Amino acid sequence: MHFNLLEKKSYLVLSGFLILGLSACGGERTTPEPIVAAAPEVESALSFENQATAGADSYATNCAACHGANLEGSTLGPLLSGFSFIQRWGTQTPALLLGNIQSNMPPGGNENISDEDFLSIVAHILSVNGVDSISNALTASSDFEIADNISRIIAQRQRPEPPAPQGLTVAGNTEEFVEFIPLTQEMLRDPDPADWPMHRRNFYGHSYSPLDQINTENVKNLSLEWVWNMHEGDSEPAPLVYNGIIYLINPGNVIQALDAESGELIWEHWTGPANRQDMRNIAMYDDKIIQATTDARLVALDARTGEQVWETVVADNTKGFANSSGPIVADGKVIQGLAGCARYIPEDCYISAYDADNGELLWQFVTIAKVGELGGDTWGGLDNIFRAGGETWITGSYDPDLNLTYWGTAQQKPWVPVSRHMTIFDVGLYTNATVAVDTESGVLDWYFQHVPAEALDLDEVFERVLVNRGDDKFVYSIGKHGILWKNDRVTGEFRGFQETVFQNAFTHIDPETGAVTYREDIQNAQLNEWTSACPSSAGGKDWHSMTYHPPSGLIVAPLSQTCLENAAREVALVQGGGGLAASRKFFEMPGTNGNLGKVGAYHADTLEEVWSFQQRASLHTGTISTGGDLVFVGDLDRRFKAFDVNSGDVLWETRLGTSVQGHPVSFAVNGKQYIAVTAALGGTSPRTVPGVIATEITYPRWGNAIYVFSLPDE
Amino acid sequence: MKLGRKSSLFVLISTLLFSTITQAQEVFRARLSPMPTTPQTVATILGEGEVILTLNGNSLNVEGSFEGMSSAATGAHIHNGPPALPGPVIHALEVTQATGGSVVGELTLTEEQVEALHNNEFYIQIHSESNPPGELRGWVFLRSHFDN
Ligand code: HEC
Repeated sequence: MHFNLLEKKSYLVLSGFLILGLSACGGERTTPEPIVAAAPEVESALSFENQATAGADSYATNCAACHGANLEGSTLGPLLSGFSFIQRWGTQTPALLLGNIQSNMPPGGNENISDEDFLSIVAHILSVNGVDSISNALTASSDFEIADNISRIIAQRQRPEPPAPQGLTVAGNTEEFVEFIPLTQEMLRDPDPADWPMHRRNFYGHSYSPLDQINTENVKNLSLEWVWNMHEGDSEPAPLVYNGIIYLINPGNVIQALDAESGELIWEHWTGPANRQDMRNIAMYDDKIIQATTDARLVALDARTGEQVWETVVADNTKGFANSSGPIVADGKVIQGLAGCARYIPEDCYISAYDADNGELLWQFVTIAKVGELGGDTWGGLDNIFRAGGETWITGSYDPDLNLTYWGTAQQKPWVPVSRHMTIFDVGLYTNATVAVDTESGVLDWYFQHVPAEALDLDEVFERVLVNRGDDKFVYSIGKHGILWKNDRVTGEFRGFQETVFQNAFTHIDPETGAVTYREDIQNAQLNEWTSACPSSAGGKDWHSMTYHPPSGLIVAPLSQTCLENAAREVALVQGGGGLAASRKFFEMPGTNGNLGKVGAYHADTLEEVWSFQQRASLHTGTISTGGDLVFVGDLDRRFKAFDVNSGDVLWETRLGTSVQGHPVSFAVNGKQYIAVTAALGGTSPRTVPGVIATEITYPRWGNAIYVFSLPDE
Repeated sequence: MKLGRKSSLFVLISTLLFSTITQAQEVFRARLSPMPTTPQTVATILGEGEVILTLNGNSLNVEGSFEGMSSAATGAHIHNGPPALPGPVIHALEVTQATGGSVVGELTLTEEQVEALHNNEFYIQIHSESNPPGELRGWVFLRSHFDN
């Protein structure tokens, strides 16, 4: 729909909510009316105020579905108002905001939105955010600093909420429940079967618990032991369990310690910022819980009491840097990734390491090769400032014998080569690769770029699973292409691949080298040209981690079957610009009968698919396996299921309060085995894409919680 | 992963056993589902359907049904394109001019088209008043491909 600026009646109605937040825009404003207000109708349409009013309508049509009617955000898109938005955009100009929005929003395509509409939408966003001291309509070159035009009164009105809690909100001490024993490197290297002391349980990322009390025979009797409701917001939690205590990351950077047996809360710490954003996982070392925050800080809490011990800044959040995953602690070094690196700024993404005792920076490994550096000639001659991407938004794994930490890197940004002002031959090191980094020095030991010059928002960033088969040491990964990659983890050498879901991005994958050849139309995709490909950006696999089950040698992965149409958008090479810059549409993967969810089991030696299970509902947890020969996984349709790891038969299932999302864990207290899983909302594209394809699946939009199951006592 | 060409032998054998038709007959199927969509269009690209295609030599019988589209169907076609890649129309089908109904056709295929069908390079698309570029679409596979 194209909005006519002269149709005043309609926008008066549509913008009713705007008056609440912005009464200075009403009739009784005391500041002198701008001269244009007295001019004829067409002229008056060109004031900032009228532009903003018109923008409210375009916003409602094109943006509100994801960003909320009042810019408050939803599970489909971040908030565009208030303190955190102004913190990010306040120092920028309207022109830059406009450029970013035009390049990136709405994600589905912008064919029906005129340049004029985009300008008025920006005026609306600024207006709701309290920009009140300008009168002239915005133009594409308006270059004032946004925050300079927000009066204090209006700015305060943007934050009517009471201040969020900060620090300890519930005080307690785990020692009232159990004696505290510091968690050492040796204990992390070979975790006690009763514990799940790190994300994916061991350094190798196996997501495997050797506990076997719950097995294929008795899993049918699994029953609920207790439930604990978590804070609301986006959430993909990976709880830790150590010595009978569950450490639980909640949305909004809140950590809780719970007694694992009784579900009793021991302490709660609000590290902030108190948003609704997602943090997947935390780490534990010695007597500390180590937490990455969504605003790119690292904070250590006393594991006994939740009191803060140290804090350090990983990267400057006001420049867009952020985190959604936490660290791995390798021999006392807290190793942390970084996300939010799509902007054209001098700073790039890095993996960094800190001393677990005090948070002191030890090293940084920058994932983007700069001009003059090794690999620096793979960026099509772009200036350093325009080299973006290479996020490490999923926690790496670690080989204590080789002293290497293994991470996946995300692709270059923007998403399509033509938007990057690059070609399919500008591979952009070290993006979309496995990087093996020395844990002592932070120096790159080897890299293997799985998909160079990535062109469809299919990053190869997810967990690296380390497996020893005989004398061979391998690293396995599955990126969004759904290709299971096997590499030698000593040398990085390619050792094989398996397509776990249908893909048509590549016409050839070299069986000797693993080199991929993109389909020709993907290689040559031009601006605003639709390209159709499978899987979609929700990934053949996404952030939900896979498991390695040592007794059977099987890798069992949670997979997803959707496809996309993608069209690149133009991105200007201007400092502060950048972004993702594509329009996308989504559809069912052909030949899957509408089954979005797939659990696939692959043998680590042959990579052959041993079994698979498909269902309509997409999967929203990682898979875990156990010594009882079980695999657990949860889905959008609120189901939590147990499979026989050898046959793929479903042996047990139950239904929870809302979509089952996060990373299940298994642990034992006083000799009794438990299975815990979270129900949660949010979770980015693995939720939004099924949200437009499997629209019949409904679930409550609240209900984050942890559920703990066990066998009934004899 | 290869998309199903397996079990055509099984279909062949069971067809020979259970049908009076002596000629080799193969049964294919397409699941119709909404065309590519976004949160903004999800309420206007709707519906679902199933089409069974029976191949006897060179003649292809198409019989299917659909329901729940956002507006009345205006046309339906068989297109030629590998899975998830749009391609040209090769045959028109008859379709009920309503939001639900049947989609049928009786076609004679060329040798190349028979091969394309076996390579999963056929898809069926139904267009509607509010979605002229298409509202429902589905690639054609051997019916046995969907058996797991
Ligand atoms: C389909 C859902 C969807 C629609 C529709 C949509 N957005 Fe977004 N928007 C998102 C998501 C998701 C992000 C976060 C992108 C990211 O971080 O990678 C985002 C990010 C943004 C940002 C950056 C926010 C920040 O904090 O830096 C702005 C600005 C924005 N959108 C504006 C708009 C405008 C204006 C419209 C309408 C023209 C719009 N969006 C339509 C989903 C949507």
